[in-house]
Amino acid sequence: MKRQRILALVKIQLKSLIRVPLALFIILLLPIALTLIFGLAFGSVIIEDTGQSVFEFLVPGLFALSGLFMAMPVAQSFSEDREQGLLRRINTTPTTAAEFMGSHLISNMGMAILQVAIIALLTFLMGYRPEGVTAGMILAFVFMVVFSLSSIGFGLITATIAKNPKASGGIVWIFILPQQMLASGLYPLPESTRIISMFMPLHYASDALTLLFNGTALSDLRIWGDLAVLIIFSVVLVILGILLFKKYSKS
Amino acid sequence: MVKMSKSNNTDLTSNGLIFGTDNPNTIEVKDLRKTYTGKKVIEEVKAVDGISFSINKGEIFGLLGPNGAGKTTIINILCGLIKQTEGDAFVGGYDIKKDLNRIKELIGVCPQQAAVYQYLNAKENIQLFGDLHLVKREKSNERMEKFLKLLGLSKASNRKAKQYSGGMLRQLNLIMALISDPHILFLDEPTVGMDPRVRRTTWEFISSLKETNKTIILTTHYIEEAEALCDRVAIIDYGKLIAIGSPRELIEKHNSKDLEEVFLKITGRRILEGI
Repeated sequence: MKRQRILALVKIQLKSLIRVPLALFIILLLPIALTLIFGLAFGSVIIEDTGQSVFEFLVPGLFALSGLFMAMPVAQSFSEDREQGLLRRINTTPTTAAEFMGSHLISNMGMAILQVAIIALLTFLMGYRPEGVTAGMILAFVFMVVFSLSSIGFGLITATIAKNPKASGGIVWIFILPQQMLASGLYPLPESTRIISMFMPLHYASDALTLLFNGTALSDLRIWGDLAVLIIFSVVLVILGILLFKKYSKS
Repeated sequence: MVKMSKSNNTDLTSNGLIFGTDNPNTIEVKDLRKTYTGKKVIEEVKAVDGISFSINKGEIFGLLGPNGAGKTTIINILCGLIKQTEGDAFVGGYDIKKDLNRIKELIGVCPQQAAVYQYLNAKENIQLFGDLHLVKREKSNERMEKFLKLLGLSKASNRKAKQYSGGMLRQLNLIMALISDPHILFLDEPTVGMDPRVRRTTWEFISSLKETNKTIILTTHYIEEAEALCDRVAIIDYGKLIAIGSPRELIEKHNSKDLEEVFLKITGRRILEGI
């Protein structure tokens, strides 16, 4: 693994963040817009049982949802690089597959951290004060970074299926929509539906963030259970995504 | 001409270099075959059908042939992008079956499709490929400025690639292949889509690379391009090598007035068959 190669690839991927409209929208503008909309619409609506505002109830799901949408720019970037012959071209250089995929993982995890930081700052400015301790907040960042890996996996699987970047924009919703509806924690769901959500990585990110932001002690095994399952989901999805993309994607 | 030793599995050294070749810039292709079969292929396609040739150090070698003749397939095999079905090939003395990583350090590839990051400017695209080949920034900057100037792209070098014309993109494509100062350069239709003026500039540029003693393998549809640039050409049709030699030798041998006439004479069956 050569640092010069990895840094060069990470750099161009981060540049896409500000230069490619879809990446800019999904990574930066969408989380900002969602936070502002939910904050302004539900900030003063109080849930009687808990005394929380609806906005405060929604914040953990908002974090998790933003990470979920990362699958979109990942899918588009891989499909586009393939369509434009860039993957083939990079394959004629001494760059190894590990360096190439490693740089993608690093840059996307970096983007996830940036995304979380933006939402955290915005929600704070809008009056949201999570009850957790500092260690809990750091752990929330860890959850989001791990969760972003699963989105990279979904993005790679989408890019494998999609024949072109436009198609990837539609196909990616197969992975986003069910998770958004069933596992984001944004909507109250019956227990039977919650069972389905347990097969989705978003469930564990959303559940853990809710626990952490509500001040649950870090010794609570539910948090660590969520982290363990999320790590398994993310690692399996990334490996599956890489293998499928390598085998079936005509690059 | 430096002749390569006959290569077979018994005359390879442990590091993949062929015995008797102290010349790392040579290519040797022996009975190369690529056949496409499988569920999605209705009829077996022999894209490359038993081709053998060798290329000498510092030579500009042209691969000519009609569409679908197998030119790009040969380049793709030599670059390690696809695997041959049968046969052997050695690039810079390294076996493509065993030493692809070493080969990738020696080569620069200018693909048929201008493969550039559209949201990056020319300099960023070029530097990226310098970094992927682990070229020191100082060196890559020096080379980049020289190439941009020679091809007349200096003024536009800070513009994003998506704002480039087709011809400019092709020139950028070429510089990206050269930034690592490769020993062996693969140019797959490097001037296709360029206007005549830009094409001439690019020919002069490619021609000037001869002074650096690079081995260049060029595929082209433009017969006059092959005639102007290549020391030797191989004419390929239906995946088979049907003629090889210097343009002059081929013109004399086929009693023709130029290489285009040679080309039409020996690949004419496609036209006759209405393909």
